[in-house]
Amino acid sequence: MSATGAAPVLLRAVGASRAFGAVTAVDDVTMSVAPGEVVGLLGANGAGKTTLIRLLLGLLPATSGEVELLGGPPDRERRRRLGYVPQGLGLYGDLTVAENLAFAVNAYGAPVPGLPPSLRASSGLLVRDLSLGLQRQLAFLAALAHGPDVLVLDEPTSGVDPLARAALWDTIREQADRGVGVLVTTHYMQETAQCDRLLLMSRARLVAQGSVSDIIGTTTAYAVRTDDWAAAFAALNAAGEPVMLAGRDVRVADSDPVRLRGILSAAGLAADVRAVPATIEERMMALARETESAGA
Amino acid sequence: MIVKELRELRRDRRTLGMLVAMPLLLLVIFGYAANFYVSSVTAAVVGPQAAAVAATLPPFFDVTVVEPSSGEAEAEAMLRDNTVDVAFVTGQQPVRALVDGSNLFASEAIVSVLNRVGDTVTTDVQYNPELKTSWVMVPAIIGLILTFIGTIVTSIGLVRERETGTLEQLAVMPIRPSQVILGKISPYFLVAAVDMTIITGLGMLLFGVPFNGNVVVFALGAALFLFVVLGLGVFISTISQTTGQAIQTAFFFLLPQILLSGMIFPLDAMAAGVRWIGYLLPLTYFTMISQGVMLRGASLASLWLPFLVLTVMAVVVFTGATLRFRRDLAPGRRGPESAREASAVESTS
Repeated sequence: MSATGAAPVLLRAVGASRAFGAVTAVDDVTMSVAPGEVVGLLGANGAGKTTLIRLLLGLLPATSGEVELLGGPPDRERRRRLGYVPQGLGLYGDLTVAENLAFAVNAYGAPVPGLPPSLRASSGLLVRDLSLGLQRQLAFLAALAHGPDVLVLDEPTSGVDPLARAALWDTIREQADRGVGVLVTTHYMQETAQCDRLLLMSRARLVAQGSVSDIIGTTTAYAVRTDDWAAAFAALNAAGEPVMLAGRDVRVADSDPVRLRGILSAAGLAADVRAVPATIEERMMALARETESAGA
Repeated sequence: MIVKELRELRRDRRTLGMLVAMPLLLLVIFGYAANFYVSSVTAAVVGPQAAAVAATLPPFFDVTVVEPSSGEAEAEAMLRDNTVDVAFVTGQQPVRALVDGSNLFASEAIVSVLNRVGDTVTTDVQYNPELKTSWVMVPAIIGLILTFIGTIVTSIGLVRERETGTLEQLAVMPIRPSQVILGKISPYFLVAAVDMTIITGLGMLLFGVPFNGNVVVFALGAALFLFVVLGLGVFISTISQTTGQAIQTAFFFLLPQILLSGMIFPLDAMAAGVRWIGYLLPLTYFTMISQGVMLRGASLASLWLPFLVLTVMAVVVFTGATLRFRRDLAPGRRGPESAREASAVESTS
């Protein structure tokens, strides 16, 4: 059981690992999601996010460690109280909006909800003919219709315009406000601000967790100002620095400014190197680098 | 571009397998199986002069039954039960040869041999007096259509769930895996049953194919056969990640059924080394049932062997395939194990 005397936990992994042959996709991950909490799961492609979600949903058994959904093993009964929006949305393109909703809702034995105004006019349309934004709205509606206690959302706002993204985050927030625990993966770093807590995965491991400021901690980034940003980027990248572009600003996370100046000088570039607060993306990059060198 | 194409081809094992295996398969089939010439048929001789007549028959007739005490009724029963290809009824002049017309190539060969014997034997072709090809093809085509729906259409339907990610959604929903499997397969079962009824009806209407047997026996055989081919379709879906792969794999299963089930080339005329493949194919046994029931009016008792084989195949194939499919929906302690599958899971994360 999940109870350890603390607050109830909706999703929990304790030392969970999953290997596929020689490849470890999730390595010794311990995490949890409590009621009313929006937890963001971040990581680069192949970091292990989707495998962790599949472990938590019971779609894959853990090779070692424990996974709990709503206080017990993620079985069919517990999944009744779960809402899931997979990356692929899980909708049937050859069914209409109304038919898709009816199928999903009937599976949970819940009454079919009315369509929101944005989907009402599309009720009779085949899902494959809808815009991605409307498809995502429908997938959300289908996942929420049975009043779940836990929401698991894999890239819920991917490919959606900013306005629709904001609307979807409003929905997520509303759910959290009524006590639903939400685990959400996203590629949009600006969306991390919407989360109460972040889990950062790199190379199958959970490398950091906490709020955005907890995770960034004392990490410093360096902004490189130069007339030839492209040459500066190329030189720093070639030197193996974790370099990123923010507009035309070249930024390097968690590095040594003396070394940076040396690289730029050797490339014949005059540049101003200044310490700036790191972003979450830069911290992710630094953590990924640390994990990589620890694993090498 | 050529190098790129060759590299891709080298890594696409399924297509490469098809490119290598298919010509070999066709070579073997057309070399050893593509033979319409029947060199020997089984024969029964009944009536008072059975022993004497049997002794005079050319070696083409492999006499397996000599029954002086039996008459025409027993001879007809042996034909209906497919015990022999031809039955000679003695005790009258000329001797009467009852030929099983449902076995087209054998009966054509028998008629040809008996025509050379002269007036001492009269030939009476039963069940297909005019030796119409359509009469023997239509019952076999019914099986082919069921195979098509069962393997190709079903596997595509199931693989599409995996391709679009809805299979994962189904796995998360509070639906039992057995309900998912039943819900996925039942429509194909119904569509196949409707298709079969239409084809049978049209075959009778357009080609005058008779339906001499019991509809229930026919339906029972078709249902068993459908379980086998639906099981194959489910199995194919579990080893295919995309629709293209499913079609390719289903083609591997379909082609031998067309060529080696006795539908086109008679099994009796195939080389022994290839004939055994035919006896492993479900369509071989369904064709025995459909031709037996429709043309000869064969009973369940006389078709016990194809029914038994199809029952065993249905239990083994359908159970095995649905258990494999169930693993995708409720993985339990086992799941995809390979590194390739790991990368497939994570590639989009």
